[in-house]
Amino acid sequence: MRNAWRVFAFDIAAPLAAIAALLTIGYALDWRVWWVAVCSVLCTLIVEGMIANFVLFRRDSVTVGTDDDGPGLRLAVVGLSTAALVAAVLVTYTQWTESDRDLARNMDDVVQIAVKFAESTMTYSPPEPTTAIDRAAAMMEPEQAEKFKASYGTEAKNQAAQNISAQAQTISAGVNAVSPDSAVVVVVVGATRQQPGKPPERAVVGLQVVLSHESGQWRVFDLIPISPAPSQ
Amino acid sequence: MSTLAFVPEETDSPENEDAQAADDRRPVFSGLGIASAVLGLLCVAAIVLTSIIWSTHRDERDELDHQSRAMQVALNWAGVLINMNKDNIEASVQKLHEGTVGTLNTDLDQVIEPFTNLVKTLQLRTTGQVNAVAIESVHRDPNREPGSAPPDETVGGLASRTDTVLIIATLTAENAGGKRPPSSLNLRIGVSDVDGQLLVSGLDLLR
Repeated sequence: MRNAWRVFAFDIAAPLAAIAALLTIGYALDWRVWWVAVCSVLCTLIVEGMIANFVLFRRDSVTVGTDDDGPGLRLAVVGLSTAALVAAVLVTYTQWTESDRDLARNMDDVVQIAVKFAESTMTYSPPEPTTAIDRAAAMMEPEQAEKFKASYGTEAKNQAAQNISAQAQTISAGVNAVSPDSAVVVVVVGATRQQPGKPPERAVVGLQVVLSHESGQWRVFDLIPISPAPSQ
Repeated sequence: MSTLAFVPEETDSPENEDAQAADDRRPVFSGLGIASAVLGLLCVAAIVLTSIIWSTHRDERDELDHQSRAMQVALNWAGVLINMNKDNIEASVQKLHEGTVGTLNTDLDQVIEPFTNLVKTLQLRTTGQVNAVAIESVHRDPNREPGSAPPDETVGGLASRTDTVLIIATLTAENAGGKRPPSSLNLRIGVSDVDGQLLVSGLDLLR
């Protein structure tokens, strides 16, 4: 009975576990070419080892698992299997768990940034004509921020100079596309525009906010109105 | 031959008795044996961890697949809605009906009345183009009473879940009088999972 367990554990389970671990690593790495090469070599060596073990068993009636004089070899077999399995844990964790978490975090982050950006872009008032625009520009890289302020900031100043104010609130938003270094968020904003002596005008505007991942943080790259902008 | 065939048979010869005595003196678990056992436990732990990681990853992937399918269902449904014209209105409404569930199914005619009325009265031929689509993750309803109950995501217990898809489309309409200026449509479409089938359960026109 003791020998049967040793045969199962050291001669069968350990090499098969190592092969399974190597295949799992390959799957997690989407079978990158270099790993296909490494995995092929390692799996061939393991299978060769199993065949050699079987041949020696036929000749000497003893295997790696049952050889009382070879505990070091058994430890080496288990050690290699353990190394392969631990490597599989590390690779699957980084390739799957971390990337899933990054994706979820990125989706949350880009939506929050895009919502704040879109609302700030369409908010101005006579006492604070460009405060919200400046807040939005702070979410961009300097080069894009200058262009943005030149366009939207000037328009907000002109509107505020005519005593016109606007307030925007997000109605709905979601991620259109996301990758580790760029994202597009769709935002539908309800904007209310007030002009002295006139009833408030309300418009619903669809926007696409394009973001890029720069220096470890998400920055707004561009704002693309999808719906016709409210008449000004 | 069984796996135990190589175990030497016990005999009563003096050499075997010596060997037996030597075996009895040898500890049951050597240092290397204990190290192997520890590594074996580590192997089992690694297999369990890999299984958990794989299972969690598969759940995440299934979730993304489900959202992707929900977006496709919403896109197809919205495609019929925004491409209705005087010639295919009956067939379009029938197709929309077939893809809905819950109160939207019973109230569909009323909900899409703004579209059908426009097409019927002005004899319009509309062409819709979807500009952007997303699974909604932020929704603020300015008309919702604070503290009021959230929308029923189970559609009266029929659905296991409901995803909301945000679609922004441009609608171009023309009739005998000529082409009308394009207008924008912002739609929130609820897609519910009813026994594995994805059906549209809600339509909000954001305006």
